[in-house]
Order: sequence, then structure tokens, then C-alpha cells
Amino acid sequence: MFIDRLINETPTQVLEQQLNFTETRQQLLADNIANVDTPGYQQKDLSLDSFQAMLRQKVAMADSSPDGSVSFEDVHAEVENPANGILFHDGNNRSMEQLMTDNAKNALMHNLVVELLRSQYQSLSEALKEKVS
Amino acid sequence: MFSILDTGASGLQAQRIRLDTIAANIANMHTTHGPNGEKTPFRRRYVQFAEGRAGDTSLPGVHVSGVELDQSPFIQKFEPGNKDADENGYVAYPNIDTTVEFVNALDASRAYEANVTMMETAKSMFSSSLRLLA
Repeated sequence: MFIDRLINETPTQVLEQQLNFTETRQQLLADNIANVDTPGYQQKDLSLDSFQAMLRQKVAMADSSPDGSVSFEDVHAEVENPANGILFHDGNNRSMEQLMTDNAKNALMHNLVVELLRSQYQSLSEALKEKVS
Repeated sequence: MFSILDTGASGLQAQRIRLDTIAANIANMHTTHGPNGEKTPFRRRYVQFAEGRAGDTSLPGVHVSGVELDQSPFIQKFEPGNKDADENGYVAYPNIDTTVEFVNALDASRAYEANVTMMETAKSMFSSSLRLLA
């Protein structure tokens, strides 16, 4: 359907997946912070590289097929245990600075994606209303 | 996505229990008798953290798995005039080192702040997501 194609454009789908990614990542970062004093806890993170590689592959696939025919639903990021940070005596490999930096970066990324998605929807609704802002 | 707040709350709760325990240790640093008058000094207590939210450990977060008694020896002070002194004139005082307690308290309050920061970030992310509806 025409409206489906408008909504399921590649940029919108990419942004939606990116939004899912930042939300899941924020959950993991919150878990890492909550467990900052838990003995033996291993930090968790999402692999940005593998996620973006998967996304790039999908975009390439979508470019060479008809609009809206490629679904981005199955794009996901793997949870990994990054080996950065010093291992403390309690077996926890926390790095507060790294966590806080990741937290800030992730929130900025989230806000950026939301803004882009918003302008995407905005232009769609303006096109529907036949009016230029 | 709202579960991020629950994860943060579990961290806040765990750190607060830790701070409570530290406060009890400092309050009792000179306590030489038990609640019913037993002649045993107060034993230092410490919390043990474990992964997973309290109630359901499969969920992300942290919980206090137990408050343990520190089995290190009591501090012996030479006070022959004290009626609690043993035959050699030593009184057993709780095995509490204020420096250690203060450092732990500082660590707990910083970790508490870190959890609050995390929740603030999550909240700002929610509100920016909600603006998508407007």
C-alpha cells in the first residue's frame, strides 16, 4: 500500500532499529552501574560494530530491492563482555569513567535518532497536509 | 524501556542498605555488650551484593544477598579498671576500623549517585522519545 511504503522507508526503519539499540544499551549500562560493587560481575555491552555491520548489509539489500520489501525487524545486537577495565580483587572489571562516558554518548545518540525520526514523521505529515512550513 | 528505572532503583536500594549497615557499624564502634546484656562485643557487619533484582534474579539489577558478620578478631584494649576486662586487664572492643567504614560509606554514596545519574539519563531519553508523539 502507498502509506505503508511511506512509513516503511529505509531511513525510518534504520532509525527505528538504532532507537531499539540505544534503549537496549541503556538497559545494560544501568545494569552495569547497579552492579558496580557486585563481586565477580562482568560488565555487559552491546557490540556497536556488529550491529552497524548488520544494518549496513540490510541497507544495501534494501537499496537493490523494491521499496518497503526488506524488513529490518531482525536486526539485533549481540550482548558481549568487553574486556576493558582493570580486574579488581573482587573479580569485577568495572570502569566508572568508561560507564559514564558510554552513558552520555548513548543518551546523545538516542536524542539524535529521536530528532531525526521526528523530522522524518514531520515531513511525512506535512506532505499529507500539502503544506510547507 | 521503563525497566531501566527499576534497575536503577535496585542499585539505589542495595547501596542504601550498605550505607545503613555502615552507619550501624559506626554507631556501635564502642559497643561491648549485646542487646540482652551478653558480654560479647558488637561484631562488624557487611553486605554481600549479588547480580539480579531482588525477588526475581533473572531481571537486570542488583540485590543484597545477605548481611554477614565479619569474623576478624576483636580489638583488645588494655583497660584494667574496666569491669569488662579479662584476667590480663584487656577489654575486647568491636572489630571496627572507622577509616575502612568511612571509605566504604564514600564508595556507597558515590555508587548511589551513579545510579541516580543513570536514572536521570533514562528519564531524559523517555521524554525525548515521548516527543515523537507530539
